[in-house]
Amino acid sequence: MTTTRIAIASALAAALVLPAATQAQGNMERCYGVAKAGKNDCQTAKSSCAGTSKSDSQTDAWISVPKGVCDKLVGGKTTAG
Amino acid sequence: MPLALRDLQKAFAAHLSGEDQPALVAEILPAAQRLRIHRHHMLDSLGSALAATFPTVQAVVGADFFRRLARAFIGQSLPSQPVLAEYGAGFPAFVAGHHAARDLPYLADVARLDWALNLAFHAPADGRLAAADLAALPADELPSLRLGLAPGTVLVASPYPLDRIWAASQPGAAADPVDLAAGGVRLLVLRRPDDAAFVALSAGEAAFIAGLGEGLSLEEAAGRADTGFDLSACFARLLGLGALAAAQ
Repeated sequence: MTTTRIAIASALAAALVLPAATQAQGNMERCYGVAKAGKNDCQTAKSSCAGTSKSDSQTDAWISVPKGVCDKLVGGKTTAG
Repeated sequence: MPLALRDLQKAFAAHLSGEDQPALVAEILPAAQRLRIHRHHMLDSLGSALAATFPTVQAVVGADFFRRLARAFIGQSLPSQPVLAEYGAGFPAFVAGHHAARDLPYLADVARLDWALNLAFHAPADGRLAAADLAALPADELPSLRLGLAPGTVLVASPYPLDRIWAASQPGAAADPVDLAAGGVRLLVLRRPDDAAFVALSAGEAAFIAGLGEGLSLEEAAGRADTGFDLSACFARLLGLGALAAAQ
């Protein structure tokens, strides 16, 4: 075994014997969690009603101005290319 | 002359995704009004599915803009599977190439993060490697181990501060602006027992786990990281997060 390989083996082995509390930090460290509601693959109640809407917006021009939180995202490069 | 079944089905699909099919309307189903119900139904169902899968994209651009984006995507990419949660794999690439998003160059990366979280959320939660699983192994065998990534574990890198963009897009987030010039991130998306999540990685950690994902051994993957990389801390962190797959 080379010195490097011994060092790597030691580092990996050390990770396995870290106190349980330290290892558990992985589960408690700050994560951004996303819990989703299950998605029904029918969604009939809502969509059946939506389907009977008389307005057909298909030919409408693009609403080309986003109106979400992108207003909050500022600075840096804001155009592609 | 009636259309053959296959032609009827193709014409029906084309009509649903937005293009009127005169032959279909005239010869088979004269009730254009009723066909439009199908179209609305399909576009609304698929649009809602995309909004549920890409909530951050929708939050960033707003519901109206998102609906247009979704509709343009649906028109060129109908689902190939019956499960709506699996619909939208091509949406990030579509967003990247769409003219409407050219002023929002980070939007495709936001979509990639949403898609990774969606995949993670629907990945099985078990089958994660724990430190105890390796305890019986002699230390000198550890460097040559090839550990795969656990189901749902995906690296998402971006030149934009994706984590802050994501946080600012959550309901009830503070109105503080996010500086897009704050720098890029390497996020590790994970399946956790009850949800999907992501954590930010250092450059060394990201290089290490990318190497593992390519099938490299622990030693080879460690060689990918920069000199200041703390292999011990990183390995412990990945095990703690449940990011690695249990041995087969």
